[in-house]
Amino acid sequence: MAVHTSRTAAQAAGDGTDVARGRGRGGLKRALATHWYAWAMVAPVVLVLGVIIGWPLVRGVYLSLTDANERNVARTIGANTIEASYSFVGLDNYTAVLSDPVFWQRLVWTVLWTVVCVSVTFTLGLALANMLNRNFRGRAFYRMALILPWAVPGFVSVFAWRFLFNRDNGILNKVLEGGGIGAIPWLDDPTWAKLSVITVNVWLGVPFMMVALLGGLQSIPGELYEAAEMDGASAWQRFRHITLPGLRAVSMTVILLSTIWTFNMFPVIFLLTRGGPGDSTEILVTQAFREAFVSSPRDFAGSATWGVLILALLMIFALVYRRSLRKQGEVW
Amino acid sequence: MTATTSAPSARKRGERSPLASVALHATLIAASVIAVFPVLWVLLTSLKPAKDAISTDFVKDPTLENYRYLVESTSFFTWFGNSVLVAGVTTVLGVFIAATTGYAVSRFKFPGMRPLMWTLLVTQMFPMAILIVPLYNLMGQLGLLNQPLGLIITYLTIAVPFCAWMMKGFFDTIPVEIDESGRVDGLNPFGTFWRLILPLARPGLAVTAFYSFITAWGEVAYASAFMVGDDNLTLAGGLQTFVTQYTANWGPMTAASVLIAIPAAIFFVFAQRHLVAGMTAGATKG
Amino acid sequence: MRRGIAATALVAALALAATACGGDKNDGGSTDAGGELSGTVTWWDTSNDTEKATFQKIAESFTAKHPKVTVKYVNVPYGDAQNKVKNAFSSGADAPDVIRADVGWVADFASLGYLDKVPDATAKKVDAEFLPAAAASGKYENQMYAVPQVIDTLGLFYNKKMLADAGVQPPTTLEELKTASAKIKEKTGKTGLYLRGDDSYWFLPLIYGEGGDLVDAKNKTVTVDGPAGVKAFKAARDLVASGAAVTNSTDGYQNMQTAFKTGQVAMMINGPWAIKDTYAGEQFTDKANLGVAPVPAGSAKAGGPQGGHDLAVYAGSKNRAAAHAFVEYLSSQDVQTQVTKELSLLPTRTAAYEQPDVKANQMVQFFKPAVDKAVERAWIPENGSLFDPLKVEYTKAVTGAATPEDAAKSAGAEFRKILKGWK
Repeated sequence: MAVHTSRTAAQAAGDGTDVARGRGRGGLKRALATHWYAWAMVAPVVLVLGVIIGWPLVRGVYLSLTDANERNVARTIGANTIEASYSFVGLDNYTAVLSDPVFWQRLVWTVLWTVVCVSVTFTLGLALANMLNRNFRGRAFYRMALILPWAVPGFVSVFAWRFLFNRDNGILNKVLEGGGIGAIPWLDDPTWAKLSVITVNVWLGVPFMMVALLGGLQSIPGELYEAAEMDGASAWQRFRHITLPGLRAVSMTVILLSTIWTFNMFPVIFLLTRGGPGDSTEILVTQAFREAFVSSPRDFAGSATWGVLILALLMIFALVYRRSLRKQGEVW
Repeated sequence: MTATTSAPSARKRGERSPLASVALHATLIAASVIAVFPVLWVLLTSLKPAKDAISTDFVKDPTLENYRYLVESTSFFTWFGNSVLVAGVTTVLGVFIAATTGYAVSRFKFPGMRPLMWTLLVTQMFPMAILIVPLYNLMGQLGLLNQPLGLIITYLTIAVPFCAWMMKGFFDTIPVEIDESGRVDGLNPFGTFWRLILPLARPGLAVTAFYSFITAWGEVAYASAFMVGDDNLTLAGGLQTFVTQYTANWGPMTAASVLIAIPAAIFFVFAQRHLVAGMTAGATKG
Repeated sequence: MRRGIAATALVAALALAATACGGDKNDGGSTDAGGELSGTVTWWDTSNDTEKATFQKIAESFTAKHPKVTVKYVNVPYGDAQNKVKNAFSSGADAPDVIRADVGWVADFASLGYLDKVPDATAKKVDAEFLPAAAASGKYENQMYAVPQVIDTLGLFYNKKMLADAGVQPPTTLEELKTASAKIKEKTGKTGLYLRGDDSYWFLPLIYGEGGDLVDAKNKTVTVDGPAGVKAFKAARDLVASGAAVTNSTDGYQNMQTAFKTGQVAMMINGPWAIKDTYAGEQFTDKANLGVAPVPAGSAKAGGPQGGHDLAVYAGSKNRAAAHAFVEYLSSQDVQTQVTKELSLLPTRTAAYEQPDVKANQMVQFFKPAVDKAVERAWIPENGSLFDPLKVEYTKAVTGAATPEDAAKSAGAEFRKILKGWK
């Protein structure tokens, strides 16, 4: 689509209003005449995004090139106004973050966390969706029960899990001890804590996957299965050659969404372990939050640097994703 | 030969052997228990006396004491009101601002569309980490820190791209013939959108609004950083005051959780079918 | 939802207008012609759940003396308070007029320009009538920014009955603690000590015990990674590894209180703020069963950190006159005596210790000598920020995720990032 304009569009900086710039006057007029309503329709979003995302983003990038912290930014306290006194330091912050092993440790764990969470969530969601995509008694009941983790606000569930996980007084360990197995240090041991946060995130994420994939399954025409059965295809062959291709589009979307959400999953880590024990469950976004709001003096420049780096990673991911979408013939 | 062909045809598709049936139910029961147990445990705990919150009995001296404490001695309803206000206004503004954009990118080919789509996708994956500091400083300068309005503006950074993206999916499902009939009737694109498309897209708008509402409702990071003082907290921040480094009031905490979860859960149960349909429409076409 | 959009947009606009207007409340008051104080004073108190009712009652009775002043009492959980106070102070919106600040935060807030200086007359009185160590905690660059409210240190809380059952005396050194714990385990099956593993404040008695400190402020040197620091990390790990102590790396404070109150452990290290909550435990229905001893000594000496809370006024407060009067009231001798009587917290006024109610308080009898010997921390702005990176390393060392040497080294490296230019 939009073949005749695609080159101009690709060169544009990423802002809808910039596109027409640089063309001949006549071209601009003609473009305005044909496209004015489309541009008018997208104007509110472009405007809002420009002001509340564009400007802070530019400022964030700028802050990452300074030594801004709580002590030297401008602030007003009652009658006193203190002027900003931070200065431009170039790429110093990036050198500092990238040469610090902490960044790489966080990155490795964040990637691991994302991959494990998304793949486990997807597998479980697919399995449950397949089970629910049949006719049997109690289906509605199971569906309602399984959707519950999604229906409860995330921060409530995370607190609930923290309560269950408490090593000394939580129900999980009381049950285990009752069963003769020793207490498990759910949130007290680096490895267990990693498993625990993954468990909770999977628990939170499965219903969404299940529901979305179930919708995908239901949109696959039943005749396909009947025809395959007639041809003597086994259950596995039917799954492999009809179900999976049929779910391709919806899977791509939910995996993309789930990856982004998990990569940026702040509440689970922050509310469950606060990045602990030690710093073993800290992911990139919680680390950036810590730099800006937990440590003191608050390191605004450092946090912005982390933010820019995280964004760069996600952009790379999105580029790869878009390329793979294009290969399948989806273009925009 | 006859035996092998007749065996599958004896059972209709979708029927299972008793063994498979048992396995299916066993798996689903196990999964349901895992899904429900944490929530159920919170409900049971909220009905125990506060000092027995960590007791392992399923039921112990049932009482509504925690709920009474919550209502009488905490700012629970203030937090609740703040959350409703912030999430509600965010949703309405988000849907309102994003609707025409969703339509435009669904229907028209225009210069700037691809970068716009790209921007919408990328902004959805924005980590709050990149925006939180500049937004914090900006809100501070505008005097909007600690104000619901500041939080609403902040949440629009999430809601607007999300709503635009999702609504594009819904508009895609509405046949283009309807637009053409509008053009034939002499309507301009705005008229077509407002009179013909929008009414048809109402379920889609509702689903978009719902997702955008629950996203704002459950947001933690911005709310923790921007809002202070008992009166301005949203629920996510308010609940954090029950369980801190030095206190763990699991009694009122669980009672509050129940009160927050019940409306959301009821809504989900009733709206489930719509949500599923809406989500997949958005997803498959997205 | 027929004419939904237009109507909802209107509602939204109205709501926005309402919230925008709501922001600018004018609670400014001042002194009127007759010098009488008026207006609202908002106090953010950080006392814990068992203490807050007492402080609220005391705060609100300020109105009895100044009928035109309304006191708004807000309890902010201690764990989040430093952050929340900063957020409120930097935004100015709905910021408190008076805060109860941990002694470690005063220099930080003062260096950021958030605090209003204590009026000269009051400052003179504080210098003359308060414990010198307490008064020092309210100062930054020789100016007084906060008035001390309470003073404290850590002590070893023990369950007298459990120690008697095991036939041991309250231990005075870490070595004795280990032997005592072994006996307790043998006789009662319970663990000796609960050691906080998720809060580095509890690391201080260990490093002081080895004769070290986190930093040497005079020579601008980081000392946490020195030999004493390594020994302290070793001692912490040793307590847990040898079974003398249990620890947690999340929800530690609550688990510690629960374990001690229910008799799961015989000893814990805690401060006077925990006394009232501890008395509520099933093991201490007879208050006499609670004993407190100095923190066990390491290889060099026994020493707890000097802690406590100060009261400070926000520089942006619209009602500073009333706020300063309120601080003066809260730190008056009568109020301090009442607080000690009800909560066993230690007063900061020298003369308060002569009051019969204070003198007779058993906990004060124990804690006062301990406070006198407590180690004064370096009152530098970065004081509060050292605990966060230290916590990460301390937890790692206690749980065995890092060797004591590595923990000390990493802590030192993190400290030097915060204290720019220090050795």
